[in-house]
Amino acid sequence: MTYKMPLSGIRVADFAWVQAGPWIGRFFANYGAQVIRIESAKRLDWSRNVPGGPEVVDGKIQKGAYFVNFNCDKLGITLNLSNPQGVDIAKKLIAISDVVTNNFSAGYMDRIGLGYKDLVKVKPDIIMLEMPVFGNSGPRRTFAGYGTGIQSAIGLNSISGMPDRRPGLNIALPDMGPNPTHATIAVLAALHYRNKTGKGQYIELAQLESSLGWMETTILDYTVNGRVRKPQGNRLPYAAPHGVYRCAGKDGWCAICVFTDTEWKVFCHVIGDPALIANERFATLRKRKEYEDELDELVTGWTRGRSAWEVMVLLQYAGIAAGVVETGEDLVLKDEQYKTHQYYVELPYGGGKAYCENTMLRFSETPCKVRNAAPEMGQHNDYVYRELLGMSEEEIVQCYVDEVFA
Amino acid sequence: MNMETESNKALSDIRVLDLTGPSGVYCTKLLADLGADVIKIEPPGGDPMRQIGPFYHDEIHREKSLYFWHFNTSKKSVTLNINMTGGRDLLNKLIKTADIIVETFQPGYLDSLGLSYENLKIVNPGIILVSITGFGQTGPYRDFKSSDLIGLATSGILFTIGFPEDPPTSLGASQAYHMVSSNAAIGALMALYYRAVSGKGQWIDVPMQGTNIRMSEMVPFTYWVSGKSRYRSGLEYYRARRDIFDCKDGRVVCSALGGAGAEKMLEWMESEGMVADLRDEKYEPVIAIIMGSSPGGKGTQQKIRLEAAKGLRDYPEEADHIDEVWEAFLKTHTREELFVGAQTRGVRLMPVNDARSVVDDIGLRARNYFVDVEHPELNQVFKYPGAPYRLSETPWKISHRAPLVGEHNLEIYIKELGFSDKQLAGFMADNVI
Repeated sequence: MTYKMPLSGIRVADFAWVQAGPWIGRFFANYGAQVIRIESAKRLDWSRNVPGGPEVVDGKIQKGAYFVNFNCDKLGITLNLSNPQGVDIAKKLIAISDVVTNNFSAGYMDRIGLGYKDLVKVKPDIIMLEMPVFGNSGPRRTFAGYGTGIQSAIGLNSISGMPDRRPGLNIALPDMGPNPTHATIAVLAALHYRNKTGKGQYIELAQLESSLGWMETTILDYTVNGRVRKPQGNRLPYAAPHGVYRCAGKDGWCAICVFTDTEWKVFCHVIGDPALIANERFATLRKRKEYEDELDELVTGWTRGRSAWEVMVLLQYAGIAAGVVETGEDLVLKDEQYKTHQYYVELPYGGGKAYCENTMLRFSETPCKVRNAAPEMGQHNDYVYRELLGMSEEEIVQCYVDEVFA
Repeated sequence: MNMETESNKALSDIRVLDLTGPSGVYCTKLLADLGADVIKIEPPGGDPMRQIGPFYHDEIHREKSLYFWHFNTSKKSVTLNINMTGGRDLLNKLIKTADIIVETFQPGYLDSLGLSYENLKIVNPGIILVSITGFGQTGPYRDFKSSDLIGLATSGILFTIGFPEDPPTSLGASQAYHMVSSNAAIGALMALYYRAVSGKGQWIDVPMQGTNIRMSEMVPFTYWVSGKSRYRSGLEYYRARRDIFDCKDGRVVCSALGGAGAEKMLEWMESEGMVADLRDEKYEPVIAIIMGSSPGGKGTQQKIRLEAAKGLRDYPEEADHIDEVWEAFLKTHTREELFVGAQTRGVRLMPVNDARSVVDDIGLRARNYFVDVEHPELNQVFKYPGAPYRLSETPWKISHRAPLVGEHNLEIYIKELGFSDKQLAGFMADNVI
């Protein structure tokens, strides 16, 4: 370790795959833990093959772009868990680990002999995280799901989008937002508790329940008031104007949010129409909400002839919240903050380059940047099996022959 | 109110001072429900968040905001005017007792009050300061104001959401605030771990823009590899075809014919006489593509989604017809029938729920997901969203409802800090608390 990082000294055995699971290990790896990602060609990770963007040649990654991003800073080993010997070796690794993560379907780790009750025998204070979509119990425990399904099942799809339109969320928000972050929080809290008491524990994160934690007051509004919330488009009950406004250029848009009456007065000055302050139809938030369609047209009248960047800067310099609805191009080429903070970094990978999300938390004492792209299949077999687990040359060769390391 | 022992709470030894607005309030809820002693510091008269609706029975009142209730469970409240010198003296006394401070002021504001991290460190060398802002503490946009909508806009998510004929469209339930708050909680707990090892506190700068870039699902990456910005296209990016269909009592989400499990679905449809002409030879290649392109389908390991998507575009009429027959079948069943029927056949169909069907869901009920929270002043108990995670040794728990304005002034100022009744009355008279 050349410099201190907040999680230096922690070891994570990361059995998670696809998207929501590996991101937990990534949090640990980026901030200093040694994270060993366990893979097998016998059960290849979806993200190794799906590019999530067109293939790129000439020195850049050709496939597995998702994998490369989700597994930055980890070590990678191959281990075949459908082979009993592979399970034994996994236990040896777990015996020297602090945390075990996985997002297999409910009961899988138990069936192969790597359930929590098996793990505490080799490491009594182990912290084990599992993420069965519907939980380990209840009538849905055998059911399976994925991010776009979960966001519909928690009701997010029913409160997003424009009013009176079909639901159409084309992201998998639970996989990127609530589930990896909640899981990381739970494991970190368990580590804190272990530091105090010496006790490990088992963490069950049912992805449906975890995602429901991000539904704000939609549940209480129903259980208290009996109200079933509908989509509100880009509007907010306690701000106006509050929306996404058409700007000049191809598909140019700027988000503008005016919360207080004081801000409204400033807004009127910025758009060069101070006489508007005296207009009673817009003088108070309640009034602006009442005449919101008219208000939005008025705002668009000002934004339409200006670039989204100009709108943002003019308003922000006057203290009004505004933000360009940024495209990929805007972020990479035009956004000064993105550049300054290096929100993405280019890293060497497979003889070419990879483009990976950087760390976003800035620690004053223990600053961290993403250092390495993801490991290639089995890149750290030697280090882990020989140095960490002390296996002999003969054992290692035999494991390759027997497809234990496949 | 709090009957269980302190020992089964993960963070029972940690005190947090909560100086957050909407962008950070979920961070401190996460810590409070894991057992931390979170003290919310409200200006005299109450936190502005208490004015955010919806309200209990729509009665606009500072003790009846469901927004405040939801986000402030398990916390304590003291009133304190940090803009006054006397208030800052009190705050410094509290800071001496705290482990973590979470705040959402504009960059530089705490500094202007003499409360910069450097100064806080003098008061309490181990203090961890978590600062949540729109764009971070440094950089050309640091003074820009933000909001949930602007967080989504400036991180590349918003542009990709919605339909091509609509403006970019926001997600519901302040997802950008949840994302930055959850990342802030991660930062706080990491710093806590490091402090246990090193004895050192630190300052963590948590920008909403940066943390939310993850939720855009690699929008900058797509531009970097292809030189193209991802566009909003309903569900097309994910499935090439729509995957939300009408059923008898609402909607379900699933690829046409269940994707990889199409054979099982066709058998089910056949048994109910709803398969129409889909067994004709001309649908065979189309169904083969559907079976290979769905997420989680065996085919995804060999085929690349985009190739499969292209494949379906070669059969527009057949694919449309399959959608029609599929939807006609779905319309003969309820969400629950389809959910159970498909899942027991190995197909990952899920219901499109709203708040009512979420609260009524038998799966969530069987697992006692929703928790009862007592509101003694109203003499009522309400169902709240429950644990996002279940820890075997240190269960997540709402220890009590959100605090009333200044509910813990006596406990903190008199019992703990040792001020007299008279001094407290003086603070009140001076509008310090």
